[in-house]
Amino acid sequence: MERTEALLIADLCEGDQTALAPLVEKYKRMVYRLAMQITKNHEDADDVMQETFIKVYQSIHTFRKDAAFETWLYRIVVNEALNFVKRRERRRECAIETATESEFDPVVRHRVQMASDPHVQAEQAELRHWVTEAVNSLSLKHRTVVILHEFEGLTHAEIASILSCSEGTVRSRLHYARKKLRTLLKPYVDASSEPL
Amino acid sequence: MKLKCHKIQRHLSDYIDETLSEQQAADVALHLRACSPCRREAAALKKTCNLIENFYVEPEAPDAYYTRFTSELQRRIEHMPPTAIHQQLRAVSTRLGWQLLTLLYRFFDRYVPSGALFTRQRAFPYYIVLLTMTSLFVAPFLLKQVPRSSLKNLPPVSVHPAATFAIEQDTDAGQAAGRHYNVNRVLPASHPTHSSSEGTSAWKSTPGDRHLVANAGYDFWQFTDEPIAEGYIFTKHRKNSSSEVPSIALATRKGIHQGTDLPGLFSIDSELIVYAEIPTQNTLLEHLLGRDVLTEGTYAILLVQGIGAGRHVLQQYERKQSRFKGFTRKLLDVPLEILSITEVYDSIEL
Repeated sequence: MERTEALLIADLCEGDQTALAPLVEKYKRMVYRLAMQITKNHEDADDVMQETFIKVYQSIHTFRKDAAFETWLYRIVVNEALNFVKRRERRRECAIETATESEFDPVVRHRVQMASDPHVQAEQAELRHWVTEAVNSLSLKHRTVVILHEFEGLTHAEIASILSCSEGTVRSRLHYARKKLRTLLKPYVDASSEPL
Repeated sequence: MKLKCHKIQRHLSDYIDETLSEQQAADVALHLRACSPCRREAAALKKTCNLIENFYVEPEAPDAYYTRFTSELQRRIEHMPPTAIHQQLRAVSTRLGWQLLTLLYRFFDRYVPSGALFTRQRAFPYYIVLLTMTSLFVAPFLLKQVPRSSLKNLPPVSVHPAATFAIEQDTDAGQAAGRHYNVNRVLPASHPTHSSSEGTSAWKSTPGDRHLVANAGYDFWQFTDEPIAEGYIFTKHRKNSSSEVPSIALATRKGIHQGTDLPGLFSIDSELIVYAEIPTQNTLLEHLLGRDVLTEGTYAILLVQGIGAGRHVLQQYERKQSRFKGFTRKLLDVPLEILSITEVYDSIEL
């Protein structure tokens, strides 16, 4: 019989190692995606994933049962990833260069179906490139908020809880991040006559 | 209008997300209908959001990577050291606690007829937890009261009730203006008294006073009071500041002086008796933290009068002088009526 998430967590609390595998299976893609978006580097994202699930295994007894496991996991991933980025910046390593040099070629997930027309395809590819570049060029704080809100669909309150800041701070960061993105993507925003 | 636009534009992001309150959303919508720049700004932000939502490329790893990752993680966990003993204990105690509560609930459900108690049956385990927590909170306060009350019943041998100390202090004008710290009652008239002077110090001795040496030229007043004990009394002396009362006085125990007629004096377990008049908390801290003289293990402080936040200050002092830790606690248990400075006299008046 398949164990529910609550049961898996309870078993993990009691030291049952086998309970971790289903949780990893369920959340591994989310963790990787989030780690990769924040660190912008596959090697770091891999380390973040490892550390995240190790921390889940070691600290599961501190998880409050009345809270959402997913939010708790988000908090761990985000904090681990932010720590990695900060450590990396301290070492003055360039994430983009490392990513370029990496042999790892991540698969990308397109949110919009590829068009059949080659011209439209080329335009969409260019747009994807610039939109992704624009998001990646945001500061760490702004990028984290944008990722959690726009792509992970978390509410302001959830983001505030994960980042240990106020909702007002989240709103403010999101607002300024969008304004920055609007400036970066101005040609594309102005080109579209109606909301996309 | 510009100010209004500025305020509205701060809310545009929330307006797009539809996270504003109804009233705020209505205000923004009303403004957007009338203000074309803000309307353009809102439209641009909306388009930006749509661009990001639709064209951002999310990273995703191939399945082979996840397979490798899972096996690597499994390997790491298997090679991890065993769970810490405190974590194991915590897990076991939590499990046992819940099992115990479950048993209690079942017992309560089976043997206690409904309506026998005024509480809901399902809430019974919570009452047990609440009772336990309340006991844990209340117990320290109850226990703390025990030594104080027992001390009050002791005969007043812990501190001699007849100690009177006099402190003299030079004024700006160079006139001797003494201040007498009268600790409870005056010494018996039969008690030997004498006075002497040293350096620039001024001496004041009244019948019944103990012997004091006050070196006005130094930072600290030093009192030698041989009939009492081998200890000293120190207090901060501020020259050219006649308005300040010496704020701290300390007396060490060092045992009973042999040959005196004061048996039982300072025979309590504590090594030091201190009394003080504290003008302000900040002043006290300056005095305490800046005192080099408090470097021996036989000294500590007791706040008897003055500010109400004495324990807080004590904690700060104890952190600085960690070897006194716990010692001041003992002193705090000395009944205040014995040690407190009950009166302050001006020598001129006397």
